[in-house]
Amino acid sequence: MTALGLCARWAHLGAGVFLVGTFAFLLLAGRSDRLTVVAWERTLTRWTRWAAGLLLLSGLLSLSYQAAVVTGHPGDALSAATMLRLLGATQFGTVWLLRHGLLFLLAGLILFRDREESGWDWAAFRGEGLLLGGTGLGLLAWAGHAAAVEPGGLAAAGADALHLLAVGVWLGGLLPFALLLRAAGQEEGADARPFAVLAARSFSQMSLVAVLVVAATGIWNAWNQIGNVASLLGTRYGNLLLLKLGLFLPIIALAAVNRLRLLPALSGEAETVGRPAMRRLASFVALEFALGAAILAVVILMTVTPPGRHTQPWWPLPFRLAYPPPHDVAGAGTRLLVGSQVALVGVLGVVAGWFLGWRRRLVVSVAAAVLVAGLGVALPPLTVEAYPTTYRRSAVPYQAASIADGRTIFATHCAACHGRTAEGDGPEATGLRRRPANLTEPHVGQHTAGDILWWLTHGIPKSGMPGFGDRLSEAERWDVVNFLRALSAAGRARKLTEVVEPDRPWLAAPDVTYAVGPGAPRSLKDFRGRRVVLLVLFTLPESRPRLGQLARNYDILQTMGAEVLAVPTDGGDQIISRLGASPRILFPVVTDGAKETVAAYSLFQPAAWIRTPAHVEYLIDRQGYLRARWTPDSGGWAEVSGLLAEIQQLNQETITGPPAEEHVH
Amino acid sequence: MRLWKAVALLNLALGIGLLVGYLWWGREATRLRRETTVTIQAGAAGLEEREWTARGVVRSVIPEINVLVLTHEDIPGFMPSMTMGFRAANPQLYAGLQVGDVIRFTLKGVPPNVTIVAITKEGKT
Repeated sequence: MTALGLCARWAHLGAGVFLVGTFAFLLLAGRSDRLTVVAWERTLTRWTRWAAGLLLLSGLLSLSYQAAVVTGHPGDALSAATMLRLLGATQFGTVWLLRHGLLFLLAGLILFRDREESGWDWAAFRGEGLLLGGTGLGLLAWAGHAAAVEPGGLAAAGADALHLLAVGVWLGGLLPFALLLRAAGQEEGADARPFAVLAARSFSQMSLVAVLVVAATGIWNAWNQIGNVASLLGTRYGNLLLLKLGLFLPIIALAAVNRLRLLPALSGEAETVGRPAMRRLASFVALEFALGAAILAVVILMTVTPPGRHTQPWWPLPFRLAYPPPHDVAGAGTRLLVGSQVALVGVLGVVAGWFLGWRRRLVVSVAAAVLVAGLGVALPPLTVEAYPTTYRRSAVPYQAASIADGRTIFATHCAACHGRTAEGDGPEATGLRRRPANLTEPHVGQHTAGDILWWLTHGIPKSGMPGFGDRLSEAERWDVVNFLRALSAAGRARKLTEVVEPDRPWLAAPDVTYAVGPGAPRSLKDFRGRRVVLLVLFTLPESRPRLGQLARNYDILQTMGAEVLAVPTDGGDQIISRLGASPRILFPVVTDGAKETVAAYSLFQPAAWIRTPAHVEYLIDRQGYLRARWTPDSGGWAEVSGLLAEIQQLNQETITGPPAEEHVH
Repeated sequence: MRLWKAVALLNLALGIGLLVGYLWWGREATRLRRETTVTIQAGAAGLEEREWTARGVVRSVIPEINVLVLTHEDIPGFMPSMTMGFRAANPQLYAGLQVGDVIRFTLKGVPPNVTIVAITKEGKT
């Protein structure tokens, strides 16, 4: 069933490409009344009839396959009701109807073509064929992955349409081209040879442009759908793309040989020089076409594979490259500098050697050796061990609740060795051969979240670190990853002061989900792009004067675009009642979610592990970054005007950077 | 008929089809916009008195102007969850209420002129 559906799609794409290429080639080659050319055109016309029939038939089959795919029941492939719903209510259906209307006209044009009496007729038939076929092919982009890109679907689909069209005129033109060359390369085809040589030259020019367009739009599409090396190497979609490229490279090599060697050999004395070259060119072009058909098959597989950007990559290599050099290898910087310069010399040597021509082979191979040597010097310090999960994206968002859970799990499972404060000095650390890692050091932040997940799951061989894959669920392991990331951030958070560093956000604020009494649950993220948030962790009764001060100035704070979010450190039982009627506090006072928020945000206090201070305030900007921190023992915001100045600073910033990541990386 | 004439006619037909489609799309858009405006106006003007019941926590009582400030849950068909002041129908309604009390309250009126007509106390926050 699936195989049949995919074959139908393949045939559909292939026939469409063939028709576009044939009409483009016929237009490009021009008119001729030589007998061999006329016979060739007649053959092509017959083929176009079959192709048009195949196009419509495979289109119907694709529709019925799609009907089975969307409902998940193979039986629906023959259900008229499902198909009608598909046609009437989906973008796939609209595009299908539009395209098949055009293709139906195209088939009619080909089948009922009248005699061509003038140049107008000649051009009209071929031009119309190209127009209808090209539109039909290009519209396919709006039924594929490209149209689903958010945002920028129009640009992505447009690029994909251009990709399809360029493939059509180039790949589809190969078959008529091969047929022409074969006919002209035969003994009795001598009359068509000048025509064939001219056509070969124009086609060569045009296909060069088309291939460049294919490459450019292909890179753009790949960026949209895959986006990074991990997805390229580690997902099925990415691997299919690599396979596609693997098939594309020999085509380019063949095309280069054709263009540089065989094309010049076509002209000259047709009887002696031209014919063998023409016949070889014919078979090479046919080979290119066969490889192209294989690429189309890979493309069809890609249409039913979720794009790499949207699946979890499974990193296949035992290492990855990281910059700046993550380990303190002695002289890494020098090696990098020297190696990169040597490699650069190598690249220049290869390019220069290729164009100079003087002892080309020798120069190029020596330069290539220099390039490899340069890379050999520069790259090893940059390599880091990597694991299959290295580029996994976290399944659990970087949220206070997750960090709080991770903190609890850490205390039960990890603190014995890594220590209560995660500095690698737990009571059982002494019995271990290697000292447990100090997880408060900055190196933790240099590993990807996926690396840490791998160690948590499988342990670290020969180090004493056990795997927790059988004791903790994946969500729990992600909680620990989030906690460790927060811990690493906490180390850097020591530098936070009550003064906002202008235009320099660097510390992502974990998201917080909270509720005020029976009010609807909200999250810190709801304020993104709208308000600056003053997150206040408070304790009664010490914080009462400060809360009163904030309450009195709440309308000014709101006018300045700030929201106050007050979180009780004692868990918040009946906290609104305890705050009482005077002063009148109208900003959100968190009753649900306070405990988790305090557990996560107390990490960002000056002395995270020593005590939970009675009162601390954080300023979070509109992009979701922690920008400043205040405790009552420093002067700063004791007067509200000091706080307002910092908010004003945040208001003046032009937002340039990306919003804080919701997931750790 | 000459082939090129047929092709020209075909393209003309396609072009006209495209134009008609475009115009239809434009008319459809205008129609939808008009309908939306009408619906919004109808929603704003022709409302009759209604009643809603929701839960909220008392944030402040301001007897001088007869207002209760509540942080309330979503009020379906009226407004989302927020903190705001509501007029009470009479002062007896909030007698004995304290900041932090969780209440179930009933609003009545023609938006935006609504008043609290009933309150039951449910607990403390």
